[in-house]
Amino acid sequence: MSPSLALHPLVRADGSATFTSNLYTVLAAANGPVEVSRRDELPEEAAIEVNIRPSSGVGGPRERWMESVITSLLRSLLLVHLHPRMLVQVTLQITAEPSIKLKRGVADVALLPTLANAAFAALVDGGLPLERTMVAALAVVREGEVVVEPTEKDLVGCQSVHAMAYSMKGEMLLTESTGRFDLELWEDVSERLRETTMAAMAKAGEDEGMEGGAEKGEPWLRHALKENVVKANAWREGG
Amino acid sequence: MANGVNASPGLSFPRETFQKLTPGPFLHAHLKRPSPIRPNGRLPEQQRTPTVNAGSLTHSNGSAVVRCGDTAIVCGIRAEILLASDLPYPPSEDLDDDDLIEHLGLLVPNVELSTGCSPAHLPGNPPGTLAQSLTYRILALLHSSNIIDPSDLKITHLEAQTDEDLPDVGPRQVKKAYWTLYIDILAIALDGNAFDTAWMAVMAAFRDTILPKAYWDQDREMVLCSPRLAEAARLKLRDIPVASTFSIFSTASPLKRKDQAESWILADPDALEEENSKEALTVVLVSKHSAGGNMLRVEKSGGAVLDKVFTATCVRLAEARCRELSTMLEAV
Repeated sequence: MSPSLALHPLVRADGSATFTSNLYTVLAAANGPVEVSRRDELPEEAAIEVNIRPSSGVGGPRERWMESVITSLLRSLLLVHLHPRMLVQVTLQITAEPSIKLKRGVADVALLPTLANAAFAALVDGGLPLERTMVAALAVVREGEVVVEPTEKDLVGCQSVHAMAYSMKGEMLLTESTGRFDLELWEDVSERLRETTMAAMAKAGEDEGMEGGAEKGEPWLRHALKENVVKANAWREGG
Repeated sequence: MANGVNASPGLSFPRETFQKLTPGPFLHAHLKRPSPIRPNGRLPEQQRTPTVNAGSLTHSNGSAVVRCGDTAIVCGIRAEILLASDLPYPPSEDLDDDDLIEHLGLLVPNVELSTGCSPAHLPGNPPGTLAQSLTYRILALLHSSNIIDPSDLKITHLEAQTDEDLPDVGPRQVKKAYWTLYIDILAIALDGNAFDTAWMAVMAAFRDTILPKAYWDQDREMVLCSPRLAEAARLKLRDIPVASTFSIFSTASPLKRKDQAESWILADPDALEEENSKEALTVVLVSKHSAGGNMLRVEKSGGAVLDKVFTATCVRLAEARCRELSTMLEAV
């Protein structure tokens, strides 16, 4: 099942997106460039602030850690030097999560790709200048088998779980792996995830030509963004 | 000259001035030489040798001070008893033993950086993002690595069966209480690579931890601890995982062509290197080759330099580091 992405669900934010993966749903809002408080101001580039709100309760150390992971990821996506002494603010609200109780380490890593994809889509929707296009994906290793985009059931009793994000040029932007694995397995997983994320960004037509392209998933990111551009330009054709 | 001093003021600044004014180009100038050497005098892949001092705090159950270059971290472990009768949601009987520690929260780490350990962390401030993320990363790693045997933390009692029970059943083992370990980690000095050093301090403190013999006293209906040292038991660790961090310093920028960018892997970064690199990789390995592999955790976020080849290089370096440090910790 390919994940679903809806752009601009919020009216007041500069950019927003709802992203649903097999496991989580995250609502993201991006505002920027906006004024920054003196304390956080950077003289040569834009500051990035990420706020993560869990589905219930208030954030704690776990959310602070995830915020720092997403912040450094977004720093390599945004063209921060274009907005010195400004702030880009991203708020991520988790709206749905698996009903079964997962182990803490597994649940943390499983959430990261959804957060990253939602934040990226919100930045695109907000028209913020970006350096690269990115897709994040999740994989688990279960009984020696690599399962890409796992379901709740795959996460229970898995040996290791891996979250990775790749840019369109195939650069690895994020890697979070936990569990028990060796280098060979990790390389295998990273190759599988690279293929999956590339397929999500693949040009139409290129995908069909690729061997086994269909099973690697449809280019959902490209479809969603294309749809958005067509919608935004509808007034031109209409006139 | 007017004041009679005829020596002209020098036109070059000392090294420290360049380091303060332009830390990025300063680091780059060191690395781009034919044989790159870091400002701290180390080779790019050279790590600092830590010194471990266990049992430095007398009032804790276990403690250690680990010093790695100018990073010094002290870790103290205090054990408290959690009564099973105080649990609002007692664990069900079919709960996996390995999930028990996480379910009950028997390991409570806390990282304190507001001690005046570095200019970036002012003393007396509430824990910042770095301190909170470090706390969480240590907690998550403690849980996912399963290094502590849950049976070490259980306080059980053999309960004689009453008449109503079947006569042929022997005495039943009842969990009366659990040991909760409060792991306090204080940075006394911080010069980069807080996670590796903090994790090593936790491991050294665990190796040093001694829990007194605790038993359920039937008559007083409470848990008592034996004062005899001979009965106290040392906490057993299944593994000693070692964390290794690598910073990636890169000259890549959106204003430059991609093929002009150069990158260096800096093992065990200090504060200057950490501040000037956008990318860092942390690998946690275990020395014992058990089923399923020797890697426990790989963390990296941001930056686009690191690929499979770079990662493999880092893992090789981390494996050597892991062998070296786990022998050092086993000797503690």
